[in-house]
Amino acid sequence: MEKIITLLMPLIAFIIGGFFIGYGRKFTARIQNRYGPPIEQFFYDVGKTLSKVRNISHGAMFDVSVMMAATGAMVSLYFVPIFNLKMFSFQGDTLVLMYLLVIGPLGMALGAGEAANPNASIGISRALTAMVGYEVPFVIALIAVMHLSKSTNLFVITTSQSGWLHWNMIQLPLAFIATMVALQGKLNEKPFELIIAPHEIATGPLVEFGGKYLGFLQINHALHLFLELAIIVDLFLGGGGFFVFLLKMLAVFTVVLIINAIYPRYKTEEAINFWMGIPTILAIISLVILVYVR
Amino acid sequence: MLETSKKTKEYRSVMEKIADKFRKKSIWMLHYCTGCGAIELPPTMTSRFDMERFGMVPMVTPRQADVLLITGYLSIKTLRRVITVYEQMNSPKYVVGFGSCPINGGMYWKSHSTINQLDKYIPVDLWIAGCMPRPEAVMSSFKKLEDLIDTGDAKGWRDYEKRNSWYKKNQKEIFDNYGVM
Repeated sequence: MEKIITLLMPLIAFIIGGFFIGYGRKFTARIQNRYGPPIEQFFYDVGKTLSKVRNISHGAMFDVSVMMAATGAMVSLYFVPIFNLKMFSFQGDTLVLMYLLVIGPLGMALGAGEAANPNASIGISRALTAMVGYEVPFVIALIAVMHLSKSTNLFVITTSQSGWLHWNMIQLPLAFIATMVALQGKLNEKPFELIIAPHEIATGPLVEFGGKYLGFLQINHALHLFLELAIIVDLFLGGGGFFVFLLKMLAVFTVVLIINAIYPRYKTEEAINFWMGIPTILAIISLVILVYVR
Repeated sequence: MLETSKKTKEYRSVMEKIADKFRKKSIWMLHYCTGCGAIELPPTMTSRFDMERFGMVPMVTPRQADVLLITGYLSIKTLRRVITVYEQMNSPKYVVGFGSCPINGGMYWKSHSTINQLDKYIPVDLWIAGCMPRPEAVMSSFKKLEDLIDTGDAKGWRDYEKRNSWYKKNQKEIFDNYGVM
């Protein structure tokens, strides 16, 4: 039974990620005093884009790039323990995960370069610059978590948080705050919506993708959302069974959505200046307290 | 010629019917406001007459959009760009003519630089009367567009591919008369 769920994990992640995206649009609409689309709207969007008859392509590299973006998310899913199942975790897999998470934007960058649209080039340079920005507080907080659990194995980090007083969110609160700020950038939510800024750079790297290619990128978006939320719940909230895990992911996503609905968008240099400032200082203070005081 | 839409008994396979069910529930419009009728689009999109609950979202690039709204009059200069944008969209795609200007020229029917009949240059699926149509009229016409997609009657994109030479002849005629622009 566990092996079957492990094999089907991308499908489960796609379905759950799709409902999360629908929930996100409904929640944002209710904040703005209107009704939103139905919860299953994401699946209608994917069905519509995958059923386009004429799909305009820009060459062979363009076709490969969407596969690369979706593959990066799918492969990373197998190294993150979800629903307390030890999927393929091994000693040192946290660092491997950091490398695998780069494959998604790299695939999109190759496709955007092939499309030769200046909006796409600007978008991809912003995406990779933003990645330089949000990795700094995230990695320092990650080092603090790895030092506390004395291991780089994600499964050991998850199962060593037994009882809610031992959650890493309670033990390392400053590192948790630094990671939540970095998460806003990873999920491309305001105030750090640099990658796909719809009306500034005409959706950045996605500007030339249409039809079936856009369908694949939407699947990649759902998988990426599920993956990032699962990593946060594993590292800081001590992941649990099926329903408890989903509830924790929903709570983290709601906080992200509330911040997204209120703020406008930062410029690129303002965002990098902010990320190298306060969140990094908070993460360093957390690491120093952990190493020297405890 | 102006084509009236009638319920045809054309054969649609099962996959095509399922695909039409998906297409009618998520229509992405191109955020390209061509004329003065575009003033009625922001009230339709925002919180009072919420358009997003039907799945309609504005998209900024023609590669990702399904429906092109020609809102109001079209000068010949804009018509050249609109044809480029229409050919950049991925099929199946729909065109909706807002207001009375695309239908018969409207207020500007005697002008030297606007067109009088949009149907000769790009295929149109749905017309909305009014000058400008209010958001309630816009929403009920989007419902009509969904019904047309559901029965398989929104076939403008096939017509453009089949009678492409006729459309190109009309376009060339008006661009040659107008001059280099």
